[in-house]
Amino acid sequence: MAEAAMDWTVNKNLSDAGPVLKIEEVAVAYKVRHGEIVAVQNVSFEIKRGESYGIVGESGCGKSTVAWAIVNFLGANGYVKAGSIKFLGQDLVGKTGEELRKLRGDQIAMVYQDPMQALNPSMKLGDQMKEVLTVHRGMSDADAAKRCIEMLDRVYMPDAANVMKRYPHQISGGQQQRVVIAMALLNNPALLIMDEPTTALDVTVEAAVLDLIAELRRDFDTAIMYITHNLGVVARVCNRVGVMYAGEMVERGTVEQIFKKPQHPYTQGLMRCVPKLGADKASSMLYPIIGRVPPPRNRPIGCIFNPRCDYTQDRCIEERPQLRDMPNGVSVRCHFAGEIDPAQWTPPEELKLPSISGGDGDNGEAEPILTVNGLKKYYPVQGSSLKDLLGRGPKRYVKAVEDATFSVKKGKTLGIVGESGCGKSTLIKTLIGLEESTAGEAQFLGFDITGDLSTRNKQLIQELQMVFQNPDSTMNPSYSVGQQIGRPMIRFGTVPKNQVRDEVIKLLQAMRLGENYYDRLPRQLSGGEKQRVGIARALASSPNVVLCDEPVSALDVSVQAAILNLLLDVQAESGTTMIFIAHDLSVVRFFSDDVAVMYLGQIMEIGPADAIYAPPYHPYTEALLSAVPIPDPTIQQKHIRLEGNVPSAISPPSGCRFHTRCPRRHLLPNNGKICEEELPPWREIGDGHRIFCHIPLETLRTFDPIITQKEED
Amino acid sequence: MLVKDCMTRHPIMISPETPAAEAQKIMAENQIRHLPVVGSGKRLLGLITRQRLSLKPDELGSLNIWEISRRLSAMTAKKIMLKAEHVQTIIPDKTVERAARIMTDHKVGCLPVLEDGIVVGILTETDLLKSFQTMLGLPADGVRVTVRMPGGVGIFKQVIVAISEEGWPILGLGSFPTRKQPGYWDSVFKIAGVNIDEVEAVINQVPNQEIVDIREVV
Repeated sequence: MAEAAMDWTVNKNLSDAGPVLKIEEVAVAYKVRHGEIVAVQNVSFEIKRGESYGIVGESGCGKSTVAWAIVNFLGANGYVKAGSIKFLGQDLVGKTGEELRKLRGDQIAMVYQDPMQALNPSMKLGDQMKEVLTVHRGMSDADAAKRCIEMLDRVYMPDAANVMKRYPHQISGGQQQRVVIAMALLNNPALLIMDEPTTALDVTVEAAVLDLIAELRRDFDTAIMYITHNLGVVARVCNRVGVMYAGEMVERGTVEQIFKKPQHPYTQGLMRCVPKLGADKASSMLYPIIGRVPPPRNRPIGCIFNPRCDYTQDRCIEERPQLRDMPNGVSVRCHFAGEIDPAQWTPPEELKLPSISGGDGDNGEAEPILTVNGLKKYYPVQGSSLKDLLGRGPKRYVKAVEDATFSVKKGKTLGIVGESGCGKSTLIKTLIGLEESTAGEAQFLGFDITGDLSTRNKQLIQELQMVFQNPDSTMNPSYSVGQQIGRPMIRFGTVPKNQVRDEVIKLLQAMRLGENYYDRLPRQLSGGEKQRVGIARALASSPNVVLCDEPVSALDVSVQAAILNLLLDVQAESGTTMIFIAHDLSVVRFFSDDVAVMYLGQIMEIGPADAIYAPPYHPYTEALLSAVPIPDPTIQQKHIRLEGNVPSAISPPSGCRFHTRCPRRHLLPNNGKICEEELPPWREIGDGHRIFCHIPLETLRTFDPIITQKEED
Repeated sequence: MLVKDCMTRHPIMISPETPAAEAQKIMAENQIRHLPVVGSGKRLLGLITRQRLSLKPDELGSLNIWEISRRLSAMTAKKIMLKAEHVQTIIPDKTVERAARIMTDHKVGCLPVLEDGIVVGILTETDLLKSFQTMLGLPADGVRVTVRMPGGVGIFKQVIVAISEEGWPILGLGSFPTRKQPGYWDSVFKIAGVNIDEVEAVINQVPNQEIVDIREVV
């Protein structure tokens, strides 16, 4: 206790050496044909040495614009209109291109969301990394190579020397991001700007990258500006946070202050959008923020948040609030900050919330609508040797789904989680008939659905529908919304032709989209609206089962909350059965009745949602849970990190597929030799909860819960 | 404590082309007295201190008023800096006392910290004074006691044992030979979460020592 207090005072006393980055009242504008658009205004914050500063907000709030302004990547028509950006005491606004170029190389580094775009695909990784040192520092090739390998080791890249000789496509996404981070750190920058660096990565990889960032910050004293929309990530890596909305900073303070007592209505709204890990749909509710971020041209005159705010008064509409310092050290841009108590908040009337019955009452006895038994999906792989070409080589397969066995009851939701490449999507593609299954049984209402679409009759197709992850690539850009939704109705003849339009409009209204959306084209919709249309299309044929493949992963938190509510509503109203894939464990927990955890094509654990999220766990589930970033700094998570990558599905590990990465193997005699040799047994826990592991249940039960509440000081 | 533990990383630096006037402004605004001048890749080229910015009076006298302004406007960091070969530097793996020694020997106020000729930090008098404070546990509240004892490990060990047996955390520790009393050492302990009487009672159990100073510091 005393020691903890001491650390704090010591740090406070010694870190007063001026900020690395100081941004004051910055406004960024883009020149366009009709004058100019002010994208960002009145943004001020500072980042000290060794501090990581989080910037959060929905998309379109100007988070990235601020980052671009720092390094002057605003493009030909963008410029910093007002304010000053001071980096290490020198003003960056007005610096010439050459000076900035030098600074960027030497002192400021950036890491972006998609590592593949930051790496040159035609150059070996080693050459790309060495270039940083040989060009900027004039280092010799051999010295540069040595230093690059050191840095790769530093970011825990396995077999660093070998990675130097590879091309970007030969390593996995998580490894690519590590290479980019290593490259950014080669010159020991004073400021590291990270723009959604882990958004494209799996939770397990994300957790490892976040650990790495925290460690590097300590060791190199680098100031980090961390841009993300994920509140959980901010809670894990940042010291202080700035919340941005529509180009303004609306609240800033330390992570503890913001999460414990958000004061701006927008921040409070964001917190209500995110499902807490451990919360389910019966006991808690998501409250999306109504409306959406106004485009820069149409920002209101008064408080920019007033059209979406639940506390709007006349003053908010007339007068723009200033960023005010609150007594507890937080700055809030709201006239009524301090007077608003989030605990007193009640959902506004126009917010339609799903009526959740929790599925009680008639559950339990409900008939399984979909039963899958030992389903397998193998993809043949063509080798490149002559023997293979002649068809005489040994046949090899990618075993994408192995022995999937489960059943889904009517009106229930089965969630499927797992890292990318674990066969989640293949499983549902097989169910819906986009792929033919290799072996096993799958029955839907007594009909066999192991074949692909060509073997199914129209009715079967009508009853099984799918919502895809990316609405952009699954909608025909030249068909209007109405046509897209109406098409399945006409195809399946569920609605008489002359009533299609009315039915479509009814569906659109159920999706909270107005009639005026009927004639719009997909490009005229926002991401959330497109996903609603995607859902409407899946529901158009009034199917019994809807398969959702990551339907909310690409969306902002408030939109995500709205879509989840919508799906819940649909389910409650028409008793639709759903299979829901997501990589976000808190979303799956919130949305599903049952959860299946997949690893490398194999279901590792399956059971009721609340049983999956508490011990006994499968060791893999345990690792996944420990990796989820939780938007609550008072929660303590056990630290379990998986090493290495998901092995190749062409030659999956013998015995238990997870044995190469299992952190719990040592619990078995002989360091888990049995895991390498034999397939584990299914261990039944009751209530349909099964775990696929050699470790006896008694031992699994002794694991501590992953998530515990930190003790209050 | 090593240089890398107390140096300031990512110091403010300028390029050789920066006008002297701007260098002066940067120093004034950020309240710093030393400004390393670096080339591409943060390679150290020189150092600007407050003295380098002042014109020598005899030189000043020989110029007329027009020449002064012309001279000043043409002045860049490169022209006024102390060249790298004359700058005392240090590497991150040296000890703080070594760094302090170099600074007192050469009467300089700062040492750029280099790794392969690249500036990775700067160590100034301020940094050293800060590390001095941390070593004696200044930033936290507690009791600071100075114990005088004859040289040799015996008594020092007994004092340490007596304190740790109470479970008290020692936040800072310093030991030095007593002035004008050869063979004797003064040791300063900074202990948190206790009061003077408790400390006195515990230390007085140890024979052959003398508490020369005890006070509560906040």
